[in-house]
Order: sequence, then C-alpha cells, then structure tokens
Amino acid sequence: MSALVRIVRLWRGQAAWLALGLLVSLLSLAAGIALMTASGALVGEALLAGALVAPIVLRLLGVGRIVLRYAERLATHEATFRALASLRVWFFRKLAAGSAGGTGFRRTGEVLARLVADVEAQDGLYLRILVPLAGAIVLLPVLTVVIGARDPRLAAGIGACFVLSGFVLPGIASRLTVAAGGRITDAAAAMRVAGLDALTGLREVRAFAAEGRALASVQAREADLLHAQRTLADRAAVAGALALLSSQAAVLLVLAAAPADPATAVLAAFLVVAAFEAVAGLPRAGVLAGHAAAAAARILDVAEAPLAVPEPLAPRALPASHRLRFEKVSFRWLPERPAVFEGLNLDVPPGARIAVLGPSGSGKSTLAALALKVVAPDSGRVLLGDTDLAGLTAASLRTRMSWLSQTTHLFDDTIRANLLLARPDADETALWAALDTARIADVVRALPDGLDTWVGESGARFSGGQGRRLALARTLLSPAPILILDEPCAGLDAETERAFLQTLNDAAADRSVVLIAHRLTGVERLDRTYRLSAGHAVAAAA
Amino acid sequence: MARDGQGDKAAKLWLRQQIRLGRRHQWPVVASGLLSILAASGQAVCAGRLLADALAPRTGAPPGYPAATLILCFASLGVARAALSFFSERAAWSAGAAARRRIRSDALGRLLHAGPSVLRGAHSGELAALVIDQVDALDGLFSRWAPAAVLAVLGPAVVACVVLFADPLAAFVLAVAGVFVPFGMAFAGIGAASASRRQFVALARLQARFVDRVRGIATIVLAGQATAEAGRLQTAADELRRRTMRVLRVAFLSSASLDLALAAALVLLAIRYGTGLARGTWSSPAAAMTVLLLVPEFFAPLRSFAAAYQDRLHAAGAAGPLATLPPLPAEPGPPARVRTVTASGVAVAFENVGLTWDPARGPALDGLSFRVPAGETLILAGPSGAGKSTAIEILLGFVRPDSGRVTINGADIAELVPQALARLTAWIGQRPVLFAGTIRDNIRFARPEASDREVEDAARSARVLEFANGLPDGLETRVGEGGYGLSGGQAQRVAVARAFLKNAPLLLLDEPTAHLDPATESEVLASLRRLAIGRTVILATHSAAAQAFGGGRRLDLRAGQAVSARGAA
Repeated sequence: MSALVRIVRLWRGQAAWLALGLLVSLLSLAAGIALMTASGALVGEALLAGALVAPIVLRLLGVGRIVLRYAERLATHEATFRALASLRVWFFRKLAAGSAGGTGFRRTGEVLARLVADVEAQDGLYLRILVPLAGAIVLLPVLTVVIGARDPRLAAGIGACFVLSGFVLPGIASRLTVAAGGRITDAAAAMRVAGLDALTGLREVRAFAAEGRALASVQAREADLLHAQRTLADRAAVAGALALLSSQAAVLLVLAAAPADPATAVLAAFLVVAAFEAVAGLPRAGVLAGHAAAAAARILDVAEAPLAVPEPLAPRALPASHRLRFEKVSFRWLPERPAVFEGLNLDVPPGARIAVLGPSGSGKSTLAALALKVVAPDSGRVLLGDTDLAGLTAASLRTRMSWLSQTTHLFDDTIRANLLLARPDADETALWAALDTARIADVVRALPDGLDTWVGESGARFSGGQGRRLALARTLLSPAPILILDEPCAGLDAETERAFLQTLNDAAADRSVVLIAHRLTGVERLDRTYRLSAGHAVAAAA
Repeated sequence: MARDGQGDKAAKLWLRQQIRLGRRHQWPVVASGLLSILAASGQAVCAGRLLADALAPRTGAPPGYPAATLILCFASLGVARAALSFFSERAAWSAGAAARRRIRSDALGRLLHAGPSVLRGAHSGELAALVIDQVDALDGLFSRWAPAAVLAVLGPAVVACVVLFADPLAAFVLAVAGVFVPFGMAFAGIGAASASRRQFVALARLQARFVDRVRGIATIVLAGQATAEAGRLQTAADELRRRTMRVLRVAFLSSASLDLALAAALVLLAIRYGTGLARGTWSSPAAAMTVLLLVPEFFAPLRSFAAAYQDRLHAAGAAGPLATLPPLPAEPGPPARVRTVTASGVAVAFENVGLTWDPARGPALDGLSFRVPAGETLILAGPSGAGKSTAIEILLGFVRPDSGRVTINGADIAELVPQALARLTAWIGQRPVLFAGTIRDNIRFARPEASDREVEDAARSARVLEFANGLPDGLETRVGEGGYGLSGGQAQRVAVARAFLKNAPLLLLDEPTAHLDPATESEVLASLRRLAIGRTVILATHSAAAQAFGGGRRLDLRAGQAVSARGAA
C-alpha cells in the first residue's frame, strides 16, 4: 500500500483539482443522502405530528443533488485526466533519465508495454478508490453523530456495521489481492510465454506437427491462471457478500429499535439505506486497490532504479577531435554472466569507415551501448579524442554520436516530427536533403501530405525498407560526426539490404561510421573490418 | 485512428455472435440478479410495514403483522441476498472465464492451423498480444455488460410490479421515470454511453501515444530529446484533456438524466405521501414507506448498466482483430498415404512448380523442376531471394504452390494430410526457436514419446552434451524466455538434436549456418553430415562451406528458376 501512497504523492501538482473533485463529490454524496433521508422523514413526521419537512426543502435537495452530481462528474474527471497525465510524464522522465537508455537497449517492446499496463492500472486510483473511500470516511462520523444524538446504542451498532462493510472488508479484499497477485502474475506470465512460444515457433510447430501440443500447453497454463483467479474471485465474492450482510444487519438494528422510538427509526432507516448504498462498491474497490498497489510497486522499482552510468560530478568539455577509441575494455552485463569483452581494443579515426562483425551473442550491441555511454566498462576506457567518456555528460556525448539500429523506433507521428527528433531546428531544406540522401525523398514527395504524412504505428504505413530509410534520414539529419549502425538491415530481405547498404556508402561521406553486423554482403565500402571473438576485436582482411 | 467501416461492422457482428455463444453462462448471473432484486423488494415491504406499525400506536391504526415475524422475514431475505450476491459474483466470473477460454482456444487454434504463413503479415509479438491481452480485454463484456444489459430491463420491471401492488400511481411514476432515462440520454444528444465512449477514446489515445514513446525511449534518449519529448507528452495530454472535457461538459448533461429521474421520482412520491398522510387523503403509511424504499432499488440496475458500459467499449476495441482471424477449415482434407516411407527413404520431385508471394515483386518460384532420389543429398544454391527457402517451405507444407506439382515418392503433397507430411520430414531453419523449458524438453519437442535414453543419444550425436555439460544443470538447464541464453551455434545444435531424435527420412535444411561464425559453422556441418547418413537431404544455402557438404548434386537457382545443375538433379 505504501507504493500507492507514493503514487498519490506524485500528484502534488494537481492537488487543487483533486481536492476540488473530492469536495464536490462529498457535497453531492451529502445531497443524495439528505434527499433520501428527508423523503423518509417527510412521511414519518406527517404520521407523527404533521410537522413537515417543507416540500420546498425536498425540491431544493433534489435539484441540488442533480447539479452537484453533474459538477462532481466534471471535477473528478478533470482531476483524473490531470493526474493520469502527470503520472505518465513523470514515469517517462524517470525511465528516460534513470535506467532509460539501458532499458530501451535491453528490454523488449513487450516488457515495456507491460510496464505501461502497470501505469494504466493506476487510472482508477483516484476516481474508483480514493473518492469512494473519502465518502466512507466522512459518512462514518455523520452516521454516528446524527443517530447517536437520539440513540447512542443504536449508533454504536450501526457504526460497527459500517466500519465492517466500508473499511474492514475492503481492506481484507485488497490484502487478499496483493497476496494472490504474485501467483496470478506468475501464471499470467507463464501463459504469455507459452502463447509467444507457440506463435514465434509456428514453423517448428508445423514442422513437428505439434499444433495440438502447442494449443494444449497454452490451455494448461490458462487453466492454472484461471484457477488462481478463481480463488481470488471467490474470496472477493465472500468479502462482498459479508459487506452486504453487515449492511442488512444495520438496517435490522434500526427496525428492531423501531417500536421503542419510531421517529428515530424512520430517520435512521432511510439514512442507513442511503449511506450503505454509497459504500456498497468499496469491497470491489479494495480488489482494485490491491491490483493497483502491486502495479505501483513495479513502476516504482523501474522508475527509481539507480543510474546505470553515473554522470560525472565535474563534466569536461567535449574534445575537438572525434576519434573514438576502446582501450582494454572489459565488460559484463551481470556479475554472474560471462564477460562480453575482455581487454577489447578498437580504434576509429575521424572519418574512418569500419565494420565490426561477430555472431549473435558476441557482444556486438554491447559495443554500441559502450560507445553511447548507455553502460560503462568494468575496466579500461572508451575515449572520444583524448577524453574518457566517463568525464563527459551523456547528453553532450550524444551530440557527437548518431545511432541507427533495427530497434530504432519510428514514432506514430508525422514524417516531419520523426525527422525533427534528430535536429529540432532543422528547416525544410535540411529535411528534404536528408530524405534525398537516404533515397526516400521521391516516395515522400509522391505522398499527398508529403512531410506531414502520418507514419503509423512503428512505421506501419511504409514497407520495411522504406521505414529503415526514413530512420536513416533522421540519423543523417543529426549533425553528429560519428554514426553507429547496429545491424541496420536486420529483418530486411537480401535485395533491400544491399540497396540500403549502397545508399549508406554515399550517404555518410565525411563522417566516421561504425557498422555492426553478423556478416557483410559485399557492397559495403569499408576502410577496415574487425571480427569479435572471445571478447577481443581481431582485424580481418577488408 | 481512421477505421474502415467494414472492419467495424465485422467486429460488431462478431461481438454479437460471441454474446450469443456466451449466453448459456450468463443466465445464472441474470437469474440471481433478478432473485436478489425480488428479495430486496420483499425487504422493502417488510421494512415499510414495520416502520408504519411502529408509528401506528401514535396514529391510532392497528398493527398489521407481529413485529417479530416481519423482522425474521427481513433478516432471512437479507441472508438470501448476501448468498445471492456471492453466487452472482461467482457466476459472473465463470461467465467471463468461460468466454475467455473459448475465444482464446478458438483464436489460437485458427492461428496454429493457418501456420507459418501468418508470420508474413504480422509480428509474433502482436499475435501473442491478440491471443493473450485482447482476449482478456473481453472479460468484462461477458461477466458484467451482457448480464447488466438484461437486468437493466428486467430489474426495474420487477420492482415496478411490486410497487404496483402498493400504489399503482407510484408504479406509473416510476415507469415514466424509467422510460425517461434512455430518452433523456438520447435527447441530450450524445448519451451517457457516448460520454463514456469519449472518455474511453481520449484515454486510449493518450495511452497509445505513451506506449509509442516508451517503446521508442532508447531512440529518444540517444537523440538527446528526452526532456523535450516529456514536454510534448505533457502538452499533448493537456490538449487532449481540454478537448475531451469540452465534449464531456455536454455529454454529462445526458448522464444527469438518470439523476434527474431518480430525484424527481423520489421528491414527487415523498410529497405525495407526506402531504397525503398529513391531510388524510392517503391512508397506508406502510405502502408509502415501502414505495420510498423501493425507489433506489428501481434505479440500481440502470446505474450498474451505465457503469458496465466501459466493459463494452474495451471489448469493442479488442474485437476487431479477433473477428478477422483466418477461418478453421470446414473439414480435414482427404486422407492420403505415401507408398513407402521407411528404410529405403523417400524420393522428392518438383515438377514445373510456380509460386508468387507478392505480385508486385514477381514470382518466387517460376517453373522449377528437379528430382532427388531416395537417400541422396541435393544442394540448393543461389543468392538470397532466389527461391531456395520457398522451395523448402513448400516441402514443409507451409505454403502451397500456385502451379505445378511436388511429389514425395510419387504422391502429390497437396493430397497429404499435414500430420503425414510432418512425420516424413525433419527441418532445421536459420534461427531455431527454443521454447521456454529445459534443453531436454526442447529436444524432446521433436518426438514427445521418446525415452530419456533416446533424447540423450540425440543430444550426444548433435554435440549438445558438449556444451550442456558445462552448464549449471546440464540438459536440465532452462532455456528460452527467462532462461539461460544459448548462443546461435548452441541453439542450432539443439535443432540438430531434434532432427536426430525425430529420425525422419527426409531432411530439409534451410540456411542452417547462415548466422554462425566459420568455426561454429564447420562444427554444425559435421553434425549434419552424420545426421544425413541414410536420408534424403535438401540443403538450401549460399555459404561456400555448406556447399561442400553433399555428394555432388547441386542446383543453382536464380529468380525462382534453375540456372545450372550438377549431378543428376
């Protein structure tokens, strides 16, 4: 639960709106309960003494309830939208600042998407959990004071029932959810893996006639998940039923007290019915809170992970030279994993075009990560000019490096916005020049909306080769003198790959190029080729 | 967010059909909901009479029933309601679970049946999200929305019937108020449903942008644009909020129709009874109390329905891609048998085979013919894109040729059932997929009924044991998602072990060494050479080392045609 409190604290900036939403919803709740109680009292008093709650009061309460309910909807939604936005922006900043680069480098899109789902799980926190909870907190003293003034013993009984159904049982429901959460998360992950395996391995599945087995495996994982969910659902249903039972007990107390003091009973009956109805949804909110709390803990874990590469306390100025050198660099991702590099030496003089080859798993992408200061070497140095990268801030270093890989993302935005990411101040001429060099200008020119064409999710509107050329145009637009190309052609077919590499030969005329690949196609123009082997770079015949 | 109307229509149709299929599981929810409303109505009757009787001594009317009976009645109905609420929640969960299970199996079954060709159009991650997340998003439709939709009509009707006995005029007032709710929503122009939809769309859009930026976070950070992008995210969210709130200000007016109906009915009836009793024009205090207590019960099902509308929207979002999955075949194809399948091996022949993936890019195979006698090895050589993989995919049954005939021992493979074809062939591709599980599980995948001994023999023959013995748990080391990461060469050796274990007479190798360094390549080729003994082998490759593999039969392909043949191909 402490994770939820920390999420709520992130909303400090929106405190005014959140408070206003709470206040209006409490007023609206009060009007609703007053309306119901006054209706009952009107009839009761008519029977007793004829001293009427004036019908005008009732009408006012009715109108007030409608107006307040409308205001409540507006205020709470405004507050919710603000809170949602601030949480997302906060998470994005944290992800970008902290482990960000590394996360984007190593984690797959699916993992990131799951994190996003955790952020989404906080969407109901204000409207569906905090607002009703605040209502229950305010209602409790109202109930006990109003009824207690006439019949303290009745008030105590009703208060106990209210605490049970409004606080204790929802609390238990949320605890059960947190406790079951681990099991459900594991089962859900197992099912996801089985599904992903079956679909990624469709070729294997077909070749080994394993369709039935693959389906059965997912179904078995699903059965585990459903079993875990069913246990939780059953318990939540019990909590809900008990909450209902305790509200029934409260009404029963009122009815039992009726013969002794009918006036109080009439008032209390309508008050209790309305008050318990207002908190009837809380056990479900408790379950929701349990889910949100578990998700919040995961978000905070990622957002508050320490920086993979600490920034220098006294940053040094960028050197004039853009020679890139690796000196006796050793690196491993995790202490228990084998070393990726051991004493790696590599020299990229300004303007040089080199290729680094190696099979998958030989640490090719790690090379890019080291050069971009996404990770720091365990020992040895990476130098730009004569300055150790450790002495440069990541931001200043990255003005010298431009990166293109198979995971370079095309955003669901216009072509223009995608290009401007590399150089926000670029003018129209510069954009077209970059597109021309990447040999995609003709395609863009032929589009009715030109630069303002929407590229679709991950560049879905374009073919694989065209998407990669758009990404290349963005890379070339950046004024950075060093290009790091990490398997830029992975996933392209052979013909497209060759055409793309040929474009690259002419495109990066005066920049240093580090091409990282598992093999060469023969069309690359290179000064030198290295092969990664056992953590070293070995010069190979060009 | 442009959507084509046709896809929307298909999604709607599909949803309606799914709701029909799920009906069987929904009636317990509806039935217990109705019973619960009845019990609540009974309680209102008891409570109304009890309160009226308590007031009676002062008003002079005689008590109707003994208080103890009424209290007992109220209490037992209360217990019944609690039990019904438990039962109804469980039933609702079961309805959602049953629907998820049914739809998931159906969707995955369709994808598995359609086979590897679906991977040409979509990434496996997207397909997995479809089968896992999108199906989960349908849960609320079946567990909440569908029953709530029925109860929103029947529930108020039941309450109105009970009220009819106490005060026909009150029943009429409630009926009018109840009918006013949907009309009021429509009159305000957009409806509570629409308010819900706007809000949902706004959130979905914000979420889509957020997911997109988080997925590309490395690109943003490395471009030095993190701060600027965070600002843009905030601006976009603010703008979206302002626009959405403008719409919601109007849309919520229509949501107010429910509040208006409830408040109006309550005020109207309270004044009717209050003044009526005071002036003596209304004589039944019990009926008055009962009706007033029933007013919230009357509107409760309508409120639940409005709340469940979110679930319907979630489902509509997920339905589109699920509605357009490839269909399952009506019936399995005609069974066929191959004349010989054992010891002597199989002979393969392509006769004038043509296949086009994409008309814009020309044919992948263009009248290809060749013949491989039983027990021989054929190298398919040629540059990438020449059609080597396509030829192998046809033999695996992943695709069917557009023209020509492919035969195995003289039988057309178009007439073979997929299982029979799979029995005959073992396949090793460029990058084998390792499933989450132990290395042993992954080898056994080739033949689930194999004994431990056979699995170990296969692992030895493929030299898996050489590296597995160096791992913490040997063959029991977990690999795949979340497991130990094997290198490309190690993964390929596991694939070779699968082929050893399967022991099929026809071995299809599609660039098995394309992603390996020269040293690993020669090791894997050595294993493959042992595997090839006594089998018919077709090896597609453009690696020089791999081309030295076979016994001299070689076919050079270019643009889907054979350009030169060595050996009697």
